[in-house]
Amino acid sequence: MDLVRASRLHTMWLLIVPGAPLAAALVLILVRSLPPRVANAARLAGWIAGIAAVLSLAGISALLPALESGNVPSFDLEWIPAAGVQFSLRFDWLALPFLITQAGVTLLAVIYAWGYHHADERTPFFYAFLMLFAVGMSGTILAGDVFVFYVFWELMLVASCTLIAVWGEGERRGAVALKYFIFTHLGSLLVLVGLILLYSATGNASFAALQSGADLVPGLVQAAAVLLIVGFCVKMAVFPLHLWLPDAHTVAPMPVTIMLAAAMLSMGAYGILRFPLSILTAAQMAPFAVPMMVAGIVSELYGALMALAEQDIKRIIAYSSVSQMGYVLFGLGTLTYSGIAGATLHVVYHGIVKALLFMCIGLVIRATGRRRITELGGLGKAMPLAAVCASVGALAISGAPPFCIFASEWMIFAGGFHTPYVGLAALSLFGSLLTVGYALWFAGRLFFAGSTEAALPPLPARSRSPWAMAGPTTFLAVLALVEGLFPAAIFRWVVAELASILGGNW
Amino acid sequence: VTGSVWVILPLACLGGGAVVVALVGRLLARLSPRLAPARNGLLALLTALVFGASLLASLPLLALASREAFVGLEWGSQGPGSASLRADPGALIVIVVALALGLIVAVYSGRYLALDRRYDAYYPLLLLLVAGLAGMVLAADLFNLYMFCELMSVAAYALVAFRRRTDTAIEAGFKYLIMGSVSSAILLMGITFVYRSTGSLALPEVRAARGPSLVMASVWGRAGLACLLVGLAVKSAFVPLHTWLPDAHGRAPSSVSALLSGIIVQSAFYALLKASLSLGLPARSLGTGLILLSLLDMTLGNVLALAQTHTKRLLAYSTIAQTGYMMFGVGVGLRYDLPAAVQAGFFLLVAHAAMKGLAFLCKGVCHFYCDSFTIGQLRGTARDLPLVAVAFSVALGGLAGVPPLAGFAGKWFIAAQVVRPADALVYAGLAIVVLNGLLSLGYYLPLIGTLYTLPAEGQGSGGRVHISAWMAVPLAALGGLVLAIGFCPGPWLGWLAHVGPYLLMLGDQVPPR
Repeated sequence: MDLVRASRLHTMWLLIVPGAPLAAALVLILVRSLPPRVANAARLAGWIAGIAAVLSLAGISALLPALESGNVPSFDLEWIPAAGVQFSLRFDWLALPFLITQAGVTLLAVIYAWGYHHADERTPFFYAFLMLFAVGMSGTILAGDVFVFYVFWELMLVASCTLIAVWGEGERRGAVALKYFIFTHLGSLLVLVGLILLYSATGNASFAALQSGADLVPGLVQAAAVLLIVGFCVKMAVFPLHLWLPDAHTVAPMPVTIMLAAAMLSMGAYGILRFPLSILTAAQMAPFAVPMMVAGIVSELYGALMALAEQDIKRIIAYSSVSQMGYVLFGLGTLTYSGIAGATLHVVYHGIVKALLFMCIGLVIRATGRRRITELGGLGKAMPLAAVCASVGALAISGAPPFCIFASEWMIFAGGFHTPYVGLAALSLFGSLLTVGYALWFAGRLFFAGSTEAALPPLPARSRSPWAMAGPTTFLAVLALVEGLFPAAIFRWVVAELASILGGNW
Repeated sequence: VTGSVWVILPLACLGGGAVVVALVGRLLARLSPRLAPARNGLLALLTALVFGASLLASLPLLALASREAFVGLEWGSQGPGSASLRADPGALIVIVVALALGLIVAVYSGRYLALDRRYDAYYPLLLLLVAGLAGMVLAADLFNLYMFCELMSVAAYALVAFRRRTDTAIEAGFKYLIMGSVSSAILLMGITFVYRSTGSLALPEVRAARGPSLVMASVWGRAGLACLLVGLAVKSAFVPLHTWLPDAHGRAPSSVSALLSGIIVQSAFYALLKASLSLGLPARSLGTGLILLSLLDMTLGNVLALAQTHTKRLLAYSTIAQTGYMMFGVGVGLRYDLPAAVQAGFFLLVAHAAMKGLAFLCKGVCHFYCDSFTIGQLRGTARDLPLVAVAFSVALGGLAGVPPLAGFAGKWFIAAQVVRPADALVYAGLAIVVLNGLLSLGYYLPLIGTLYTLPAEGQGSGGRVHISAWMAVPLAALGGLVLAIGFCPGPWLGWLAHVGPYLLMLGDQVPPR
């Protein structure tokens, strides 16, 4: 009896994870139609979104004990019986790191938006689409069926594209949104064809059926793996498929940029872990190891070089994402235990650090109204909090030891050295020097160097950042340090994932 | 006369309804000129009633047909030179879709037609158009096929040229008339050739009664079949023969375009399938031809749609592309003996009718209230007509294949079936389909974006418009359908389960001696 009740409870929490933001989005659309006083409606909208994000996070933590005790909370509903499609959600160890990153980032981005987003009569819609974006991501992670996976995958794209097209900064937002949509949709279509190949091989769309045995013709295995890996690499913005990223990240409003960079990019890594890596055997994946590692290194170096060359502070950090996703792809490509664990860990830590850096940039842009790095400098005195946080972020992203990314990069490189391709691993290791270069240059120039162009009008006097922006920034900076000192908790989750998902194959 | 009288009932409803509506229209015009403003509404309601009655009358057919698997119901006399109708599963789907769309369009016209007036001509023509369509797909012999096809075409010519105020409409109607008549002549020639070779006009269904195909055995028969295919290919706008379509669908009143693009073209495609398979064209060759043509169709349709500046022409080219996707599914099904692929193609037919109908009706509302004609003039729609903008986005998003809207499910089913046969042709085809999906975003997305951008200073009506219930209700109904098909494709797919086996049974031919 207790077991039944417990499993019902699990199902309820599982549905709340994507359901709360979805309900919030619907409520927010209704809020729009009763706007007597704009400021109040906007504040109410912010609170609704915040509560939904908290609920979503609460759902995940409520499900943790279930995972610990070896259950897989799941929810199934017949959807299209004729085509073997079910509406199925399941929450397993592989989903956990991604889901927790996504839900945490969403909550912090919403809180940040309270301070960042200026209120107008469309604000409830803004939060509604932010919530739909979150639904898309959590649904993608929780999907237990390829059809459901793809539906949420595209919802993620539609919602984020709308956010960029409508609330983007600058005149080019329409064009940028179109580019973003078409580019990532190309990736989605490749993924779709790959998924359909897998689906038609089993005749059943559920992950469980795929995992238990997709008997594909060898040629088809190769085709499906290539389609899926390339398609997911578009989402991860791996060079040369990254072209959409710098524009989209630069034009999007800051809360959306935070969600794009810290949560959405890693959906590509999730896809690679979920489909090719979990479904195909080690032998089937082996031919893709070197291409993935090489693509990872190229992306890593290219992103870092472009970050060094850029002038716009938002674009610098946007290119840093290209570089960081290169590490993740490299880690996945090693096909070793520690490489894959490191890549997964890197997704979580990159989420923390990238959100932190973008939040600092948001503070700077809000205070000064400028974005070119040549027009900025010496902000340390005026904005001590941002200076400290950005320094933490810069040190963390360059992999300095007491901060979190050190642990994940260590594992990724360790994975690299476990493969026969030690040269590639060494290249990747030395490539991380470039990361140190742009990260320290960025933080030093912005906060600690003097302004080079003396003719510029003086910066506005020290303005107090709203707590809604400063709070999450500080929290993430502290988190980056704490996670660096005590990575064991998250590491245990990641290992559990590898043991249960890849255990049989590797 | 033998067989089930149910088959003739929907047709009789439409034909009788057309006469009644025409008479009532004349009567109202004579009775009192003061009634004129209400006349449109009255006639629209009456027409909608006729469509509704016809839909009701076809329900028993649906029930019977679903019970008897895929053996159709027949009505008509047997023997040489006989005329008969057969309600097979595919025809029933096409008819039900056409009647439902007709019902919605009739209600919509209740306000929209204030642009064109001449109500007493419009509504009977609308009914005759659908009656022709229904007869054409029901026909179980070539005589009925030709006659009803002509009825449909003549009504369509008149409706395309209905907007007399603009000379472009007349021009488009004239072009359509010329191409349509030539194709009808070719069709008729084909029919005479077939008759010469077999001595019968029947489109036999059961293989035992049919034996080895006489048509395929003789030169006259083969020539006749070729003419038949070409004639019907013009009506279904296969690519080299599509040139009339963008003009006709782009210039007709939006309510008419919704019907023309949503179902008329596809019904001609079904007639082509039914006739050629019944006459003994092997399913495999027809399938191969359809696959190749469909790739041409979708590519050309999408590429040309990219270049359009007029919303309705864009939608018309999009119809060519979407019909291409349907043909691809059906073609793969016929070539590789996959009933589920045919089913998927018909699923897209149903979904497309709802989506394209909705798109044209939304365009019509924008035209009606904001006088927008080109894509650029659609700017500000979200401000002036917010709900129409939402409905329009749902339609376009569905056509673009954005999940979970209707078009996505259709494309998913087609793709999922199409990868079954491991064959280079199919993989190449799938690659082209995927590229086309990407290409089509290049015009659907900017169009959606345009709806939500504000017009330049001093343009647009400025200010929210309250739309009439005559238009709001059809938009809501179609929008609901698009969402329902997208979110719950299961029941719709189940409804189409018999088409695939039926067409394959028609195509399962004893080879000629």
